[in-house]
Amino acid sequence: MCRTMATHKPTPSPPRSARRNLFGPVDREQLQADYEAALQRGLTEARHRWGFDFLSDTPLENSDFQWEAIPGATVPLLYRSCVLGLGHAEGERAAEAAVQPEDGGRVGLKENIPCSPERCALNQEKLEKTPGGGENTGLKRKQTNITDFYQAKRTVVGMPRKSGE
Amino acid sequence: MELLCLEMDTIRARPDPNLLCDDRVLQSLLTLEERFLPQYSYFKGVQKDIQPFMRRMVATWMLEVCEEEKCEEEVFPLAMNYLDRFLAVVPTKKCNLQLLGAVCMFLASKLKETRPLTAEKLCIYTDNSIRPQELLEWELVVLGKLKWNLAAVTPNDFIEHIVRRLPLPEDKLALIRKHVQTFIALCATDFGFAMYPPSMIATGSVGAAICGLQLDSADQSQWGDSLTDLLAKITNTEVDVLKECQEQIERVLVSSLREGRQQQQQQQQQQQTQRGPSGKGLDELDQSSTPTDVRDVNL
Repeated sequence: MCRTMATHKPTPSPPRSARRNLFGPVDREQLQADYEAALQRGLTEARHRWGFDFLSDTPLENSDFQWEAIPGATVPLLYRSCVLGLGHAEGERAAEAAVQPEDGGRVGLKENIPCSPERCALNQEKLEKTPGGGENTGLKRKQTNITDFYQAKRTVVGMPRKSGE
Repeated sequence: MELLCLEMDTIRARPDPNLLCDDRVLQSLLTLEERFLPQYSYFKGVQKDIQPFMRRMVATWMLEVCEEEKCEEEVFPLAMNYLDRFLAVVPTKKCNLQLLGAVCMFLASKLKETRPLTAEKLCIYTDNSIRPQELLEWELVVLGKLKWNLAAVTPNDFIEHIVRRLPLPEDKLALIRKHVQTFIALCATDFGFAMYPPSMIATGSVGAAICGLQLDSADQSQWGDSLTDLLAKITNTEVDVLKECQEQIERVLVSSLREGRQQQQQQQQQQQTQRGPSGKGLDELDQSSTPTDVRDVNL
């Protein structure tokens, strides 16, 4: 009795019909190699795109960007250094995010930015600076606005508590 | 505690008139959608190892997983959008296609659902041919290639906007929505629609649903030939293009239904010879790419 129960149990709750392997066995070693190659490619592209060596945390000599270190405390929380698993993985993520940023949209630009500072957080926070200046100040102003908003919100939330106590 | 219990069922926000009745929202969707189309018809260039029928296989599998897991309707079309955009830029091997499909569902589910599919569960659905670790690694690769632009516009985003602008009987709305969603899912399984703007697929699907339910013939004076005209106006689609799209949807449905019936018959025969006529396992019959609820549509 117990034995039959045991043989029935191992397939847990989920799949019945949709569970299947479509295209045969996966070549694990090849998959791993492809994965590493994809990351490497992403890293190279990001390095080229941003003029920054994400592995050594150093700006490249001749790039379209001028990199400037700024204190970590001045950037919004979201961009600050945090140890998420391996630093290794962080770098990969940053690199991948910046892959092929030629996407014509404003969206693309915004989404690529958060990742680069996160990566170079090891020594010191750095933010991208465009040589043009105009766009750069626009970005900065925007970020300050967000932090302002946070502070404002915090005081609003804090007040009722104080008065309650 | 009670709140937690209630959250077990999906509690939905009411439709927000500020979003649905404002024309700007629809116009923004129409402007935005172009950005998320796959850039190339990839079977003609980028892909060497993958054939169109393989996309269909992986799409059918993904749809089944989404149905079985009762995912939100837009998860599947969104996942297919990721898949197509990835395949448009990255040459991919056949043996990695299912992994890619799983990754795309993983991402789409995380974006759209409060209780997303887990990596472990998705791996089980591949019959453990991939491991969670691999899924997570490739998630990163796919994200990079999609430039982290995940909030793509899907045909589902247009359904309410279109349906609201049509004079439809109130009591049929739920059924119409359901059929439209089914048509949209069907389109996502067919590569012939991969390059079409989501608004066109949505409009064509609404047209096909209304015709399929024969709501247009019930009141000829109201519709006449104007249904297509009206639909075309709502999403700024050209009438001819829209007509063609709707016909294409209907053709795909017909062939999909036929395929489904054949499969059913085959399986029934198999089952009868294997197990005897026990009449067991309705859900095992559901292997065609046609979602169940549209099989009784008459065109």
